[in-house]
Amino acid sequence: MSGFSFFGTLERILAESGFASFLNDPRNLIMIVVACILLYLGIGKKFEPLLLVPIAFGILLANFPLTGLLSEPAVAADGTVTSPGFLWVIYQGVQHAIYPSIIFMGIGAMTDFGPLIARPSSLLLGAAAQFGIFTAFLLALALGFDPAVAAAIGVIGGADGPTAILTASRLAADYLPAIAIAAYSYMALIPLIQPPIMRALTTTKEREVKMEQLRPVSKAEKIVFPIAVAIFVILLLPDTAPLIGMLMLGNLFRECGVTERLSDTAQNALCNIVTIFLGLAVGCKAAADTFLTWDTIKILILGLLAFMLSTVGGVLFGKVMYRISGGKINPLIGSAGVSAVPMAARVSQVEGQKANPANFLLMHAMGPNVAGVIGSAVAAGFFLKVFGG
Amino acid sequence: MGNLSISALLVALSGIVIVFIMLAVLCMIIPLISKAVQSTQKPAVRERVSSPPPQRPAPPPRPAATPAAAPSGPSLIGVDEKTAACIMAIVSHETGIPLSELNFQRIQAI
Repeated sequence: MSGFSFFGTLERILAESGFASFLNDPRNLIMIVVACILLYLGIGKKFEPLLLVPIAFGILLANFPLTGLLSEPAVAADGTVTSPGFLWVIYQGVQHAIYPSIIFMGIGAMTDFGPLIARPSSLLLGAAAQFGIFTAFLLALALGFDPAVAAAIGVIGGADGPTAILTASRLAADYLPAIAIAAYSYMALIPLIQPPIMRALTTTKEREVKMEQLRPVSKAEKIVFPIAVAIFVILLLPDTAPLIGMLMLGNLFRECGVTERLSDTAQNALCNIVTIFLGLAVGCKAAADTFLTWDTIKILILGLLAFMLSTVGGVLFGKVMYRISGGKINPLIGSAGVSAVPMAARVSQVEGQKANPANFLLMHAMGPNVAGVIGSAVAAGFFLKVFGG
Repeated sequence: MGNLSISALLVALSGIVIVFIMLAVLCMIIPLISKAVQSTQKPAVRERVSSPPPQRPAPPPRPAATPAAAPSGPSLIGVDEKTAACIMAIVSHETGIPLSELNFQRIQAI
Protein backbone atom coordinates (compact mmCIF):
# COMPACT_ATOMS: atom_id res chain seq x y z
CA MET A 1 0.00 0.00 0.00
CA SER A 2 2.96 2.27 0.41
CA GLY A 3 3.31 2.83 -3.38
CA PHE A 4 -0.32 3.82 -3.86
CA SER A 5 -0.86 7.03 -5.74
CA PHE A 6 -4.36 8.42 -6.18
CA PHE A 7 -3.53 10.34 -9.35
CA GLY A 8 -1.51 7.42 -10.74
CA THR A 9 -4.50 5.08 -10.28
CA LEU A 10 -6.82 7.64 -11.83
CA GLU A 11 -4.46 8.01 -14.79
CA ARG A 12 -4.33 4.22 -15.24
CA ILE A 13 -8.13 3.90 -15.11
CA LEU A 14 -8.50 6.61 -17.74
CA ALA A 15 -5.77 5.08 -19.94
CA GLU A 16 -7.54 1.71 -19.90
CA SER A 17 -11.06 3.14 -20.37
CA GLY A 18 -13.15 3.21 -23.48
CA PHE A 19 -12.64 6.98 -23.70
CA ALA A 20 -8.91 6.46 -24.26
CA SER A 21 -9.65 3.97 -27.02
CA PHE A 22 -11.52 6.65 -28.95
CA LEU A 23 -8.24 8.57 -29.25
CA ASN A 24 -6.62 5.58 -30.96
CA ASP A 25 -9.55 4.84 -33.27
CA PRO A 26 -12.32 7.47 -33.46
CA ARG A 27 -14.45 5.35 -35.82
CA ASN A 28 -16.24 3.77 -32.87
CA LEU A 29 -17.20 7.24 -31.73
CA ILE A 30 -18.67 7.94 -35.19
CA MET A 31 -20.66 4.71 -34.93
CA ILE A 32 -22.02 5.82 -31.56
CA VAL A 33 -23.17 9.04 -33.20
CA VAL A 34 -24.80 6.96 -35.98
CA ALA A 35 -26.54 4.87 -33.30
CA CYS A 36 -27.85 8.03 -31.62
CA ILE A 37 -29.17 9.33 -34.97
CA LEU A 38 -30.96 6.02 -35.56
CA LEU A 39 -32.39 6.16 -32.03
CA TYR A 40 -33.71 9.63 -32.83
CA LEU A 41 -35.30 8.35 -36.06
CA GLY A 42 -36.87 5.44 -34.21
CA ILE A 43 -38.11 7.34 -31.15
CA GLY A 44 -38.55 10.87 -32.49
CA LYS A 45 -39.72 10.13 -36.02
CA LYS A 46 -41.28 6.71 -35.26
CA PHE A 47 -39.50 4.96 -38.20
CA GLU A 48 -40.31 1.29 -37.47
CA PRO A 49 -39.45 1.92 -33.80
CA LEU A 50 -40.04 -1.68 -32.71
CA LEU A 51 -37.00 -2.72 -34.71
CA LEU A 52 -35.00 0.44 -35.19
CA VAL A 53 -34.70 1.12 -31.45
CA PRO A 54 -33.15 -2.30 -30.58
CA ILE A 55 -31.00 -2.19 -33.75
CA ALA A 56 -29.69 1.27 -32.86
CA PHE A 57 -29.02 0.25 -29.27
CA GLY A 58 -27.24 -2.86 -30.53
CA ILE A 59 -25.00 -0.60 -32.63
CA LEU A 60 -24.38 1.53 -29.56
CA LEU A 61 -23.40 -1.45 -27.39
CA ALA A 62 -21.28 -3.09 -30.07
CA ASN A 63 -19.17 0.04 -30.56
CA PHE A 64 -18.22 0.61 -26.94
CA PRO A 65 -14.56 -0.40 -26.90
CA LEU A 66 -13.15 -3.13 -24.62
CA THR A 67 -16.51 -4.58 -23.54
CA GLY A 68 -15.96 -8.04 -25.01
CA LEU A 69 -19.67 -8.23 -25.81
CA LEU A 70 -18.92 -9.77 -29.19
CA SER A 71 -16.07 -12.06 -28.10
CA GLU A 72 -16.25 -15.54 -29.52
CA PRO A 73 -15.67 -18.48 -27.17
CA ALA A 74 -11.98 -19.43 -27.19
CA VAL A 75 -9.98 -22.33 -25.83
CA ALA A 76 -7.22 -21.15 -23.48
CA ALA A 77 -3.79 -22.77 -23.27
CA ASP A 78 -4.82 -24.81 -20.24
CA GLY A 79 -7.83 -26.21 -22.11
CA THR A 80 -10.50 -24.10 -20.44
CA VAL A 81 -13.09 -22.48 -22.67
CA THR A 82 -13.64 -18.76 -22.17
CA SER A 83 -17.21 -17.54 -22.03
CA PRO A 84 -18.45 -15.88 -25.22
CA GLY A 85 -19.72 -12.30 -25.17
CA PHE A 86 -23.41 -11.72 -24.54
CA LEU A 87 -24.08 -10.20 -27.97
CA TRP A 88 -22.12 -12.98 -29.69
CA VAL A 89 -24.56 -15.48 -28.16
CA ILE A 90 -27.54 -13.34 -29.20
CA TYR A 91 -26.17 -13.12 -32.76
CA GLN A 92 -26.25 -16.90 -33.19
CA GLY A 93 -30.01 -16.64 -33.62
CA VAL A 94 -29.48 -14.60 -36.78
CA GLN A 95 -26.47 -16.62 -37.90
CA HIS A 96 -28.58 -19.78 -37.89
CA ALA A 97 -31.77 -18.19 -39.27
CA ILE A 98 -33.71 -18.73 -36.05
CA TYR A 99 -35.05 -15.23 -35.34
CA PRO A 100 -36.27 -14.37 -38.88
CA SER A 101 -38.08 -17.71 -39.04
CA ILE A 102 -39.78 -17.18 -35.67
CA ILE A 103 -40.79 -13.65 -36.72
CA PHE A 104 -42.32 -15.24 -39.83
CA MET A 105 -44.33 -17.54 -37.57
CA GLY A 106 -45.68 -14.44 -35.84
CA ILE A 107 -46.49 -12.83 -39.18
CA GLY A 108 -48.30 -16.00 -40.24
CA ALA A 109 -50.32 -15.97 -37.02
CA MET A 110 -51.31 -12.34 -37.66
CA THR A 111 -52.16 -12.78 -41.34
CA ASP A 112 -55.59 -13.49 -42.79
CA PHE A 113 -55.05 -15.22 -46.12
CA GLY A 114 -58.81 -15.04 -46.82
CA PRO A 115 -58.55 -12.25 -49.44
CA LEU A 116 -55.84 -14.23 -51.24
CA ILE A 117 -57.91 -17.43 -51.22
CA ALA A 118 -60.96 -15.49 -52.42
CA ARG A 119 -59.01 -13.99 -55.32
CA PRO A 120 -56.00 -16.23 -56.13
CA SER A 121 -54.99 -13.99 -59.06
CA SER A 122 -53.63 -11.65 -56.36
CA LEU A 123 -50.64 -14.00 -56.26
CA LEU A 124 -49.56 -12.72 -59.68
CA LEU A 125 -49.47 -9.17 -58.33
CA GLY A 126 -47.35 -10.45 -55.46
CA ALA A 127 -44.98 -11.99 -58.01
CA ALA A 128 -44.78 -8.86 -60.16
CA ALA A 129 -43.88 -6.76 -57.13
CA GLN A 130 -40.68 -8.78 -56.72
CA PHE A 131 -39.40 -7.07 -59.88
CA GLY A 132 -37.34 -4.67 -57.76
CA ILE A 133 -35.45 -7.55 -56.14
CA PHE A 134 -34.00 -8.73 -59.42
CA THR A 135 -33.35 -5.31 -60.94
CA ALA A 136 -31.62 -4.15 -57.75
CA PHE A 137 -29.54 -7.35 -57.91
CA LEU A 138 -28.38 -6.34 -61.40
CA LEU A 139 -27.73 -2.76 -60.32
CA ALA A 140 -25.69 -3.96 -57.33
CA LEU A 141 -23.61 -6.14 -59.66
CA ALA A 142 -23.09 -3.15 -61.94
CA LEU A 143 -21.78 -1.20 -58.93
CA GLY A 144 -19.19 -3.89 -58.30
CA PHE A 145 -20.71 -5.95 -55.48
CA ASP A 146 -20.07 -9.71 -55.41
CA PRO A 147 -23.01 -11.73 -56.78
CA ALA A 148 -23.95 -13.15 -53.36
CA VAL A 149 -23.85 -9.69 -51.76
CA ALA A 150 -25.80 -8.25 -54.71
CA ALA A 151 -28.48 -10.89 -54.17
CA ALA A 152 -28.77 -9.99 -50.47
CA ILE A 153 -29.04 -6.29 -51.39
CA GLY A 154 -31.70 -7.06 -54.00
CA VAL A 155 -33.91 -8.77 -51.43
CA ILE A 156 -34.40 -5.36 -49.75
CA GLY A 157 -36.82 -4.76 -52.65
CA GLY A 158 -39.14 -7.41 -51.25
CA ALA A 159 -39.95 -4.97 -48.41
CA ASP A 160 -39.75 -7.86 -46.01
CA GLY A 161 -37.38 -7.36 -43.08
CA PRO A 162 -37.03 -10.95 -41.82
CA THR A 163 -36.42 -12.26 -45.36
CA ALA A 164 -33.82 -9.57 -46.03
CA ILE A 165 -32.08 -10.37 -42.73
CA LEU A 166 -32.10 -14.11 -43.34
CA THR A 167 -30.68 -13.72 -46.85
CA ALA A 168 -28.05 -11.22 -45.72
CA SER A 169 -26.98 -13.42 -42.79
CA ARG A 170 -26.36 -16.29 -45.21
CA LEU A 171 -24.94 -14.41 -48.20
CA ALA A 172 -23.50 -11.12 -46.93
CA ALA A 173 -22.98 -11.19 -43.15
CA ASP A 174 -20.71 -8.12 -43.17
CA TYR A 175 -23.43 -6.05 -44.83
CA LEU A 176 -26.24 -7.33 -42.59
CA PRO A 177 -26.71 -4.12 -40.56
CA ALA A 178 -26.78 -1.86 -43.63
CA ILE A 179 -29.25 -4.17 -45.40
CA ALA A 180 -31.51 -4.51 -42.35
CA ILE A 181 -31.49 -0.77 -41.64
CA ALA A 182 -32.26 0.00 -45.30
CA ALA A 183 -35.09 -2.55 -45.37
CA TYR A 184 -36.80 -1.34 -42.20
CA SER A 185 -36.23 2.37 -42.87
CA TYR A 186 -37.77 2.19 -46.33
CA MET A 187 -40.66 0.08 -45.03
CA ALA A 188 -41.40 2.94 -42.65
CA LEU A 189 -41.24 5.35 -45.58
CA ILE A 190 -43.63 3.38 -47.81
CA PRO A 191 -46.41 6.00 -47.41
CA LEU A 192 -43.96 8.53 -48.88
CA ILE A 193 -42.22 6.34 -51.48
CA GLN A 194 -45.18 4.60 -53.11
CA PRO A 195 -47.92 7.22 -53.73
CA PRO A 196 -46.03 9.37 -56.30
CA ILE A 197 -45.16 6.24 -58.29
CA MET A 198 -48.73 4.95 -58.08
CA ARG A 199 -50.16 8.27 -59.28
CA ALA A 200 -47.57 8.62 -62.05
CA LEU A 201 -48.29 5.18 -63.51
CA THR A 202 -52.10 5.19 -63.35
CA THR A 203 -54.86 7.31 -64.81
CA THR A 204 -57.61 8.87 -62.69
CA LYS A 205 -60.11 6.50 -64.33
CA GLU A 206 -58.04 3.48 -63.28
CA ARG A 207 -57.66 4.74 -59.70
CA GLU A 208 -61.40 5.30 -59.40
CA VAL A 209 -62.29 1.66 -60.10
CA LYS A 210 -64.46 0.14 -57.38
CA MET A 211 -63.82 -3.54 -56.94
CA GLU A 212 -66.51 -6.15 -56.29
CA GLN A 213 -66.86 -7.58 -52.81
CA LEU A 214 -64.76 -10.72 -52.26
CA ARG A 215 -66.51 -14.05 -51.85
CA PRO A 216 -66.72 -15.50 -48.33
CA VAL A 217 -63.99 -18.04 -47.57
CA SER A 218 -64.84 -21.05 -45.41
CA LYS A 219 -62.89 -22.02 -42.31
CA ALA A 220 -61.90 -25.33 -43.88
CA GLU A 221 -60.34 -23.58 -46.87
CA LYS A 222 -58.31 -21.41 -44.53
CA ILE A 223 -57.10 -24.46 -42.62
CA VAL A 224 -56.09 -26.39 -45.74
CA PHE A 225 -54.36 -23.38 -47.33
CA PRO A 226 -51.23 -23.20 -45.11
CA ILE A 227 -50.75 -26.95 -45.23
CA ALA A 228 -51.04 -27.06 -49.04
CA VAL A 229 -48.76 -24.05 -49.57
CA ALA A 230 -46.11 -25.47 -47.23
CA ILE A 231 -46.15 -28.83 -49.00
CA PHE A 232 -46.01 -27.35 -52.50
CA VAL A 233 -43.54 -24.49 -52.02
CA ILE A 234 -41.08 -26.29 -49.73
CA LEU A 235 -41.00 -29.41 -51.90
CA LEU A 236 -40.24 -27.24 -54.92
CA LEU A 237 -37.77 -24.85 -53.24
CA PRO A 238 -36.39 -26.50 -50.08
CA ASP A 239 -34.34 -23.39 -49.21
CA THR A 240 -37.58 -21.57 -48.43
CA ALA A 241 -38.39 -24.08 -45.66
CA PRO A 242 -37.45 -21.91 -42.64
CA LEU A 243 -39.50 -18.92 -43.82
CA ILE A 244 -42.45 -20.53 -45.61
CA GLY A 245 -42.60 -23.37 -43.07
CA MET A 246 -42.84 -21.03 -40.10
CA LEU A 247 -45.15 -18.58 -41.91
CA MET A 248 -47.59 -21.37 -42.65
CA LEU A 249 -47.27 -22.93 -39.18
CA GLY A 250 -48.15 -19.57 -37.62
CA ASN A 251 -51.12 -19.25 -39.96
CA LEU A 252 -52.27 -22.78 -39.14
CA PHE A 253 -52.17 -21.88 -35.42
CA ARG A 254 -54.44 -18.95 -36.24
CA GLU A 255 -56.92 -20.76 -38.44
CA CYS A 256 -57.23 -24.28 -37.06
CA GLY A 257 -59.26 -23.10 -34.08
CA VAL A 258 -57.74 -25.48 -31.52
CA THR A 259 -54.44 -23.69 -30.80
CA GLU A 260 -55.60 -20.27 -29.76
CA ARG A 261 -52.99 -19.99 -26.99
CA LEU A 262 -50.19 -20.85 -29.40
CA SER A 263 -51.53 -18.38 -31.94
CA ASP A 264 -51.70 -15.68 -29.29
CA THR A 265 -48.15 -16.42 -28.13
CA ALA A 266 -46.78 -16.45 -31.69
CA GLN A 267 -48.48 -13.14 -32.49
CA ASN A 268 -47.58 -11.31 -29.30
CA ALA A 269 -45.17 -12.52 -26.63
CA LEU A 270 -42.89 -14.67 -28.77
CA CYS A 271 -42.81 -12.22 -31.65
CA ASN A 272 -41.97 -9.35 -29.28
CA ILE A 273 -39.22 -11.30 -27.51
CA VAL A 274 -37.61 -12.36 -30.76
CA THR A 275 -37.92 -8.84 -32.17
CA ILE A 276 -35.74 -7.60 -29.30
CA PHE A 277 -33.11 -10.29 -29.96
CA LEU A 278 -33.27 -9.75 -33.73
CA GLY A 279 -32.77 -6.00 -33.41
CA LEU A 280 -29.89 -6.34 -30.98
CA ALA A 281 -28.24 -9.05 -33.10
CA VAL A 282 -28.47 -7.01 -36.30
CA GLY A 283 -27.20 -3.87 -34.58
CA CYS A 284 -24.26 -5.59 -32.95
CA LYS A 285 -22.87 -6.53 -36.36
CA ALA A 286 -22.51 -2.86 -37.28
CA ALA A 287 -18.79 -2.59 -36.74
CA ALA A 288 -17.12 0.63 -37.83
CA ASP A 289 -14.77 -1.02 -40.34
CA THR A 290 -17.62 -2.59 -42.34
CA PHE A 291 -20.37 -0.02 -41.75
CA LEU A 292 -18.52 3.26 -42.29
CA THR A 293 -17.80 2.61 -45.96
CA TRP A 294 -19.10 3.79 -49.32
CA ASP A 295 -20.72 0.38 -49.69
CA THR A 296 -23.23 1.33 -46.98
CA ILE A 297 -24.22 4.44 -48.93
CA LYS A 298 -24.54 2.33 -52.10
CA ILE A 299 -26.72 -0.20 -50.26
CA LEU A 300 -29.03 2.54 -48.96
CA ILE A 301 -29.43 3.94 -52.49
CA LEU A 302 -29.91 0.49 -54.04
CA GLY A 303 -32.46 -0.38 -51.36
CA LEU A 304 -34.50 2.70 -52.20
CA LEU A 305 -34.34 1.88 -55.92
CA ALA A 306 -35.36 -1.72 -55.17
CA PHE A 307 -38.44 -0.52 -53.26
CA MET A 308 -39.39 1.88 -56.04
CA LEU A 309 -38.90 -0.70 -58.79
CA SER A 310 -40.95 -3.28 -56.89
CA THR A 311 -43.77 -0.76 -56.64
CA VAL A 312 -43.44 -0.07 -60.37
CA GLY A 313 -43.60 -3.81 -61.14
CA GLY A 314 -46.72 -4.27 -59.00
CA VAL A 315 -48.58 -1.26 -60.39
CA LEU A 316 -47.73 -2.08 -64.02
CA PHE A 317 -48.95 -5.64 -63.57
CA GLY A 318 -52.02 -4.20 -61.88
CA LYS A 319 -52.64 -2.24 -65.08
CA VAL A 320 -52.31 -5.46 -67.07
CA MET A 321 -54.92 -7.09 -64.83
CA TYR A 322 -57.13 -4.01 -65.16
CA ARG A 323 -57.11 -4.50 -68.93
CA ILE A 324 -57.56 -8.29 -68.81
CA SER A 325 -60.44 -8.04 -66.31
CA GLY A 326 -62.22 -5.43 -68.38
CA GLY A 327 -61.63 -2.68 -65.85
CA LYS A 328 -62.76 -4.62 -62.78
CA ILE A 329 -59.40 -4.61 -60.98
CA ASN A 330 -58.02 -1.37 -59.60
CA PRO A 331 -54.29 -1.25 -60.50
CA LEU A 332 -53.55 0.54 -57.21
CA ILE A 333 -53.71 -2.81 -55.40
CA GLY A 334 -50.63 -3.90 -57.39
CA SER A 335 -48.35 -1.71 -55.30
CA ALA A 336 -49.40 -3.71 -52.23
CA GLY A 337 -47.58 -6.69 -53.77
CA VAL A 338 -44.48 -5.54 -51.90
CA SER A 339 -44.80 -7.45 -48.69
CA ALA A 340 -44.78 -4.69 -46.09
CA VAL A 341 -47.93 -5.98 -44.35
CA PRO A 342 -50.27 -4.18 -43.88
CA MET A 343 -48.73 -0.78 -44.60
CA ALA A 344 -48.58 -1.23 -48.37
CA ALA A 345 -52.24 -2.29 -48.43
CA ARG A 346 -53.15 0.80 -46.42
CA VAL A 347 -51.37 2.99 -48.98
CA SER A 348 -53.50 1.41 -51.74
CA GLN A 349 -56.61 2.11 -49.66
CA VAL A 350 -55.65 5.74 -49.06
CA GLU A 351 -54.79 6.40 -52.71
CA GLY A 352 -57.97 4.67 -53.88
CA GLN A 353 -60.10 6.80 -51.57
CA LYS A 354 -58.38 9.96 -52.76
CA ALA A 355 -59.46 9.14 -56.31
CA ASN A 356 -62.94 7.98 -55.30
CA PRO A 357 -64.12 8.60 -51.73
CA ALA A 358 -66.47 5.59 -51.96
CA ASN A 359 -63.57 3.27 -52.78
CA PHE A 360 -62.73 0.61 -50.23
CA LEU A 361 -59.62 -1.21 -51.47
CA LEU A 362 -58.11 -2.42 -48.20
CA MET A 363 -59.36 -6.01 -48.31
CA HIS A 364 -58.62 -6.27 -52.04
CA ALA A 365 -55.07 -5.01 -51.47
CA MET A 366 -54.48 -7.49 -48.63
CA GLY A 367 -54.47 -10.31 -51.22
CA PRO A 368 -51.41 -9.06 -53.16
CA ASN A 369 -49.90 -7.88 -49.87
CA VAL A 370 -49.77 -11.35 -48.31
CA ALA A 371 -48.89 -12.85 -51.70
CA GLY A 372 -45.85 -10.57 -51.61
CA VAL A 373 -44.71 -12.24 -48.39
CA ILE A 374 -44.75 -15.61 -50.16
CA GLY A 375 -43.17 -14.09 -53.30
CA SER A 376 -40.26 -12.47 -51.48
CA ALA A 377 -39.60 -15.72 -49.58
CA VAL A 378 -39.53 -17.59 -52.89
CA ALA A 379 -37.16 -14.99 -54.39
CA ALA A 380 -34.89 -15.28 -51.34
CA GLY A 381 -35.00 -19.07 -51.59
CA PHE A 382 -34.00 -18.81 -55.25
CA PHE A 383 -30.97 -16.65 -54.40
CA LEU A 384 -29.96 -18.96 -51.54
CA LYS A 385 -30.15 -21.90 -53.95
CA VAL A 386 -28.08 -20.13 -56.64
CA PHE A 387 -25.45 -18.56 -54.39
CA GLY A 388 -25.28 -21.33 -51.82
CA GLY A 389 -26.26 -19.71 -48.54
CA MET B 1 -20.12 -2.23 -65.52
CA GLY B 2 -18.85 -4.02 -62.42
CA ASN B 3 -19.76 -7.70 -62.29
CA LEU B 4 -22.71 -7.42 -64.67
CA SER B 5 -22.60 -10.17 -67.27
CA ILE B 6 -24.85 -12.30 -69.42
CA SER B 7 -24.96 -14.95 -66.71
CA ALA B 8 -26.07 -12.34 -64.17
CA LEU B 9 -28.88 -11.26 -66.49
CA LEU B 10 -29.85 -14.91 -66.87
CA VAL B 11 -29.91 -15.36 -63.08
CA ALA B 12 -32.16 -12.31 -62.68
CA LEU B 13 -34.44 -13.38 -65.51
CA SER B 14 -34.75 -16.95 -64.30
CA GLY B 15 -35.36 -15.66 -60.76
CA ILE B 16 -38.36 -13.54 -61.69
CA VAL B 17 -39.66 -16.30 -63.98
CA ILE B 18 -39.42 -18.86 -61.16
CA VAL B 19 -41.22 -16.53 -58.73
CA PHE B 20 -43.97 -16.05 -61.34
CA ILE B 21 -44.24 -19.77 -62.10
CA MET B 22 -44.35 -20.68 -58.42
CA LEU B 23 -47.07 -18.18 -57.60
CA ALA B 24 -48.97 -18.88 -60.83
CA VAL B 25 -49.08 -22.58 -59.96
CA LEU B 26 -50.29 -21.67 -56.47
CA CYS B 27 -52.86 -19.45 -58.15
CA MET B 28 -54.14 -22.51 -60.01
CA ILE B 29 -53.93 -24.83 -57.01
CA ILE B 30 -55.91 -22.61 -54.61
CA PRO B 31 -59.23 -22.81 -56.53
CA LEU B 32 -58.78 -26.57 -56.79
CA ILE B 33 -58.26 -26.79 -53.03
CA SER B 34 -61.29 -24.57 -52.46
CA LYS B 35 -63.45 -26.77 -54.69
CA ALA B 36 -62.17 -29.95 -53.05
CA VAL B 37 -62.79 -28.55 -49.58
CA GLN B 38 -66.26 -27.30 -50.50
CA SER B 39 -67.18 -30.66 -52.00
CA THR B 40 -66.22 -32.49 -48.81
CA GLN B 41 -68.13 -30.14 -46.55
CA LYS B 42 -71.65 -30.99 -45.43
CA PRO B 43 -74.29 -29.52 -47.72
CA ALA B 44 -75.65 -27.32 -44.94
CA VAL B 45 -72.24 -25.82 -44.24
CA ARG B 46 -71.60 -25.36 -47.95
CA GLU B 47 -74.88 -23.59 -48.37
CA ARG B 48 -74.13 -21.27 -45.46
CA VAL B 49 -70.76 -20.30 -46.93
CA SER B 50 -71.76 -19.90 -50.55
CA SER B 51 -75.17 -18.28 -50.25
CA PRO B 52 -76.35 -15.35 -48.14
CA PRO B 53 -78.64 -16.01 -45.16
CA PRO B 54 -82.38 -15.52 -45.74
CA GLN B 55 -83.41 -11.91 -45.60
CA ARG B 56 -86.06 -10.60 -43.33
CA PRO B 57 -88.90 -8.83 -45.15
CA ALA B 58 -87.55 -5.48 -46.23
CA PRO B 59 -89.26 -2.39 -44.87
CA PRO B 60 -90.75 -0.03 -47.40
CA PRO B 61 -88.00 2.09 -48.97
CA ARG B 62 -87.67 5.67 -47.92
CA PRO B 63 -88.49 8.25 -50.52
CA ALA B 64 -85.12 9.97 -50.16
CA ALA B 65 -83.02 6.79 -50.30
CA THR B 66 -79.54 7.10 -51.77
CA PRO B 67 -78.62 4.99 -54.80
CA ALA B 68 -77.83 1.37 -53.97
CA ALA B 69 -74.27 0.14 -53.87
CA ALA B 70 -72.63 -2.07 -56.50
CA PRO B 71 -74.70 -5.17 -57.30
CA SER B 72 -72.44 -7.40 -55.19
CA GLY B 73 -72.43 -5.17 -52.10
CA PRO B 74 -75.07 -4.59 -49.43
CA SER B 75 -78.10 -2.50 -50.30
CA LEU B 76 -77.79 0.96 -48.80
CA ILE B 77 -80.90 2.75 -47.61
CA GLY B 78 -80.50 6.29 -46.42
CA VAL B 79 -76.70 6.03 -46.00
CA ASP B 80 -73.94 6.97 -48.39
CA GLU B 81 -71.27 4.49 -49.43
CA LYS B 82 -68.52 6.08 -47.37
CA THR B 83 -70.59 5.78 -44.19
CA ALA B 84 -71.47 2.20 -45.09
CA ALA B 85 -67.78 1.36 -45.57
CA CYS B 86 -67.02 2.86 -42.15
CA ILE B 87 -69.83 0.85 -40.52
CA MET B 88 -68.58 -2.39 -42.09
CA ALA B 89 -65.02 -1.69 -40.92
CA ILE B 90 -66.24 -0.88 -37.37
CA VAL B 91 -68.36 -4.05 -37.17
CA SER B 92 -65.39 -6.10 -38.37
CA HIS B 93 -63.08 -4.48 -35.84
CA GLU B 94 -65.47 -4.77 -32.90
CA THR B 95 -66.44 -8.39 -33.57
CA GLY B 96 -62.94 -9.49 -34.54
CA ILE B 97 -64.37 -11.14 -37.67
CA PRO B 98 -62.42 -10.36 -40.87
CA LEU B 99 -64.39 -8.37 -43.45
CA SER B 100 -64.02 -11.24 -45.91
CA GLU B 101 -66.09 -13.42 -43.56
CA LEU B 102 -68.86 -10.91 -42.96
CA ASN B 103 -71.77 -10.68 -45.34
CA PHE B 104 -73.71 -7.44 -45.14
CA GLN B 105 -77.13 -7.62 -46.73
CA ARG B 106 -78.47 -4.19 -46.01
CA ILE B 107 -77.36 -1.04 -44.21
CA GLN B 108 -80.26 1.26 -43.40
CA ALA B 109 -80.49 4.60 -41.63
CA ILE B 110 -83.02 4.46 -38.79
